[in-house]
Amino acid sequence: MALNRKIAYIDLSTGKIETRPISLEVRKKFLGGRGLDAYLLYNHTEKGIDPLGPKNVLMVSAGILGGTLASASSRTHIMAKSPLTELLGSSNMGGFFAPELRWAGFDHLVIKGKAEKPVYLWIHNGEIELRDASNIWGKTTTETQWAIREELGDEDIKCAVIGPAGENLVRFANVMTGIKDSAGRSGMGAVFGSKNLKAIAARGTMDIKIAYPTDALEYNKRFIDQIVSSKVNQTQGTLGTPFIWGATNSWGGIRTRNFQYNQCEYADDIEPERIDEIATETMGKYHMAGCFGCQVHCRAKYKIPSGPYAGKYDEGPEYTSQGAFGGEPDCKSAVTVLTGNHLVDQWGVDNLEIGSIISWAMELYELGILTNKDTDGLDLSFGNDEALLEMIRRITFRDGWLGDTLAEGGIQASEKIGKNSFSYLIQVKGMSNLHSDERATPALALGIATGSRGSDHLRSRPAIDLYHLPEEVLRKVYSNPVPYDGPLSSEHTSYVGKSWQVFWQELCYMGVDCLGICKYHTTFLGATLPNFEDWSRVLYYNTGLEMSPKDIWDVAERCYNIERLFNLREGLTRNDPKKGDTLNHRYFDEPCRRGAPDVIGAKIDRKKFKKMIDEYYEHHGWDENGIPLPETMKRLGLDKEPSHLV
Amino acid sequence: MAKVLMINYEKCTGCRLCELVCSVMHEGVSNPSRSRIKIMKWESEGLYVPISCQQCEDAPCINVCPVKAISRDEKLDYVKVDYDVCIGCRVCVTACPFGAMSFDVIDRKVVKCDLCDGDPQCVRFCEIQALEYVDADRVSVFKKKDAAERLSIAQKEAAALQAQV
Amino acid sequence: MATEREALSGAESLAKTRTYGKFRCHNPSCMGRITVEPGVTQCKCPSCGLEFRVAWVRPNFPRIRGPVWDVNRRIAQEAVTEREAAKAAKKEGK
Repeated sequence: MALNRKIAYIDLSTGKIETRPISLEVRKKFLGGRGLDAYLLYNHTEKGIDPLGPKNVLMVSAGILGGTLASASSRTHIMAKSPLTELLGSSNMGGFFAPELRWAGFDHLVIKGKAEKPVYLWIHNGEIELRDASNIWGKTTTETQWAIREELGDEDIKCAVIGPAGENLVRFANVMTGIKDSAGRSGMGAVFGSKNLKAIAARGTMDIKIAYPTDALEYNKRFIDQIVSSKVNQTQGTLGTPFIWGATNSWGGIRTRNFQYNQCEYADDIEPERIDEIATETMGKYHMAGCFGCQVHCRAKYKIPSGPYAGKYDEGPEYTSQGAFGGEPDCKSAVTVLTGNHLVDQWGVDNLEIGSIISWAMELYELGILTNKDTDGLDLSFGNDEALLEMIRRITFRDGWLGDTLAEGGIQASEKIGKNSFSYLIQVKGMSNLHSDERATPALALGIATGSRGSDHLRSRPAIDLYHLPEEVLRKVYSNPVPYDGPLSSEHTSYVGKSWQVFWQELCYMGVDCLGICKYHTTFLGATLPNFEDWSRVLYYNTGLEMSPKDIWDVAERCYNIERLFNLREGLTRNDPKKGDTLNHRYFDEPCRRGAPDVIGAKIDRKKFKKMIDEYYEHHGWDENGIPLPETMKRLGLDKEPSHLV
Repeated sequence: MAKVLMINYEKCTGCRLCELVCSVMHEGVSNPSRSRIKIMKWESEGLYVPISCQQCEDAPCINVCPVKAISRDEKLDYVKVDYDVCIGCRVCVTACPFGAMSFDVIDRKVVKCDLCDGDPQCVRFCEIQALEYVDADRVSVFKKKDAAERLSIAQKEAAALQAQV
Repeated sequence: MATEREALSGAESLAKTRTYGKFRCHNPSCMGRITVEPGVTQCKCPSCGLEFRVAWVRPNFPRIRGPVWDVNRRIAQEAVTEREAAKAAKKEGK
């Protein structure tokens, strides 16, 4: 059945590999994917370890519904202590790797130690082999995948790989599969690199038995209809995620010139419709592609139309590339966005982090904190497209003082640069913010401040808050599967009830990450998309596991608390500007300078923000310092952690 | 008139949901290696082509089968394997010009598209309609329409160019 | 197990609230619903006056492509000036 997938413990130092089943007890407590990864991380790592040392432990997993009829059951989760934040490292990617891992017999890999020389893992129908990777070390992400397929003689092999950035221990290097699917955040690629692990290759032909095939098929049809009939997913399927950037930029929720402006004006060339035009011109009318089993198909295929990389094929760009290489550095050129996107895909580095850090360096250059001496003569002015692309190269290859410094991540770089540079760094817990500006949207600001992997929009963002939904619709969404009769507000500029929305979304996204399905298939960008109730059914039909919506909610809450425990163990404190549930002071001190009439002038109110955090802790059952109360731990069955169940 | 499975590979998004639903429908499992349809991919170019049985009129598999286990189904007009007769020699796999006759490594038998008794699940789940189940004569009509559209666009572009001159 | 059609989930039951063919003004204090004629490429919010460029996801499905930059910039500047004047007047009043 779908639950008989195993967990493998792989020690790269000794070469020892051990496989074990995952008990039903563990499944019911943590389901799989991110949730079980969090449990494994907390149980298998010691406090204070070096994230790039052999004692860090790397988790690679598929969700409990991976490869099943759950719609977009494609997601791979990767977890370890983050070399970027020195807190929880956690990242998720689509594509085709996770289902292949499951067909090869495994749900979870726990990778310890460090190989003496470059290796890759070959996972095939229940067997795992460590193979020499000396001849693929140094290759780009796609070259690596094609080389492994050729070496093993099977084109159906799916790989999770690192590129040069991971090998060079760039602290925000990513792990990739396919052309552009990336586990981008929190530097998981550097952890691969630190272990001399170039890739994980999987291929399998083992059945995943579906518990109730006919019902699963019928329910999947209904599930898909629910998903693809939503306005948001129809837009995604046409324009991809860039549509979000376009919509947000329209009213002034996009950061530009690092954090100086909140709207990238006259940016018509990087608007989603323009990027769609380029995709159409270079790849034809039908240029959208999808991840495994997904009918949303939000990813465009394109060729770079001009410039030094003209004619190169890639996929995307996601709105993160639009923000990171367009809005933030104020480079309003589609070719630059598409080229930047191609470079990070090939070299395996997080687009969001690298773009944000370059924009920060551009602001420091403008302020004179960084000089031509620091940049080796590079004119690091905002709007300099060539400098932006050159900095992507320098950081990836740690070329020159600035490239090497920025490759260490924002906080570490700010310590080296000094001169108040830290106060311009737009980060939470050491991870850069998305390209969005949350000063006019308190709920979104709370979400990034409290995210368990640092500043993040995929941890808890209540994006539907922006839609001005009637209160009764909000109540229908947010009082299920646990009752909520506190306040809620349709106004996205309000602070009322937002702490509950963020708390609810946190558990919703944790749920979806445990199941291994995509966030576009849940209450992220649309209020009519599936959540706990729907998952309870899809889980039952596919795996036979009977879990009520509330049971899934409890799993999510349990797993979110383990992530919190890990962060607290590694030094998170509420008000720490580098490791706390905080925001850069500019959110409170500098009002928005652009945007719609009442976005101009908006900033976050310190007192109200503090109150939101207090409320948020209360919803979680945490004390005023953000530490889970003993009764919360007991209620969630976490009072004996680490419990080493698996 | 009998219907056929029409594949328009240009539309295919490469998601492989057709492979998944095919293996669940026929075997009750998720396992694309047991699917009757398979998407061939050139990932570095973004090219995805679903391959399934063409239900050939003069089918090589029928012709080569040494025990006459393969025949044409009268009702749905498709090429059908009789497993009571089949000896699993895989000559049909060798003979098929499309590679659409597969060998199921778990059940140890040859497998091919049976149109799901007239309700092909791959078609039902393909929201983008890269797969359609249509009357046989429609296939060429759709292609004619596409060609006509390309022609008319070319004509308009030529006219526009001339106007510029 | 018999295939019984289960009741609509909360999320499914909200599907009837979807509003194809309309979109909301991007001004946070307005958020008024805007309906546009098929094929138009620009529109003006009837309640707050902001102007938007319109793109079409499908022939019956419009979305805001972006602001009409000059117009919305001017309206926002005016709002700021007005707010500041009101603030100053209030101060004087004290």
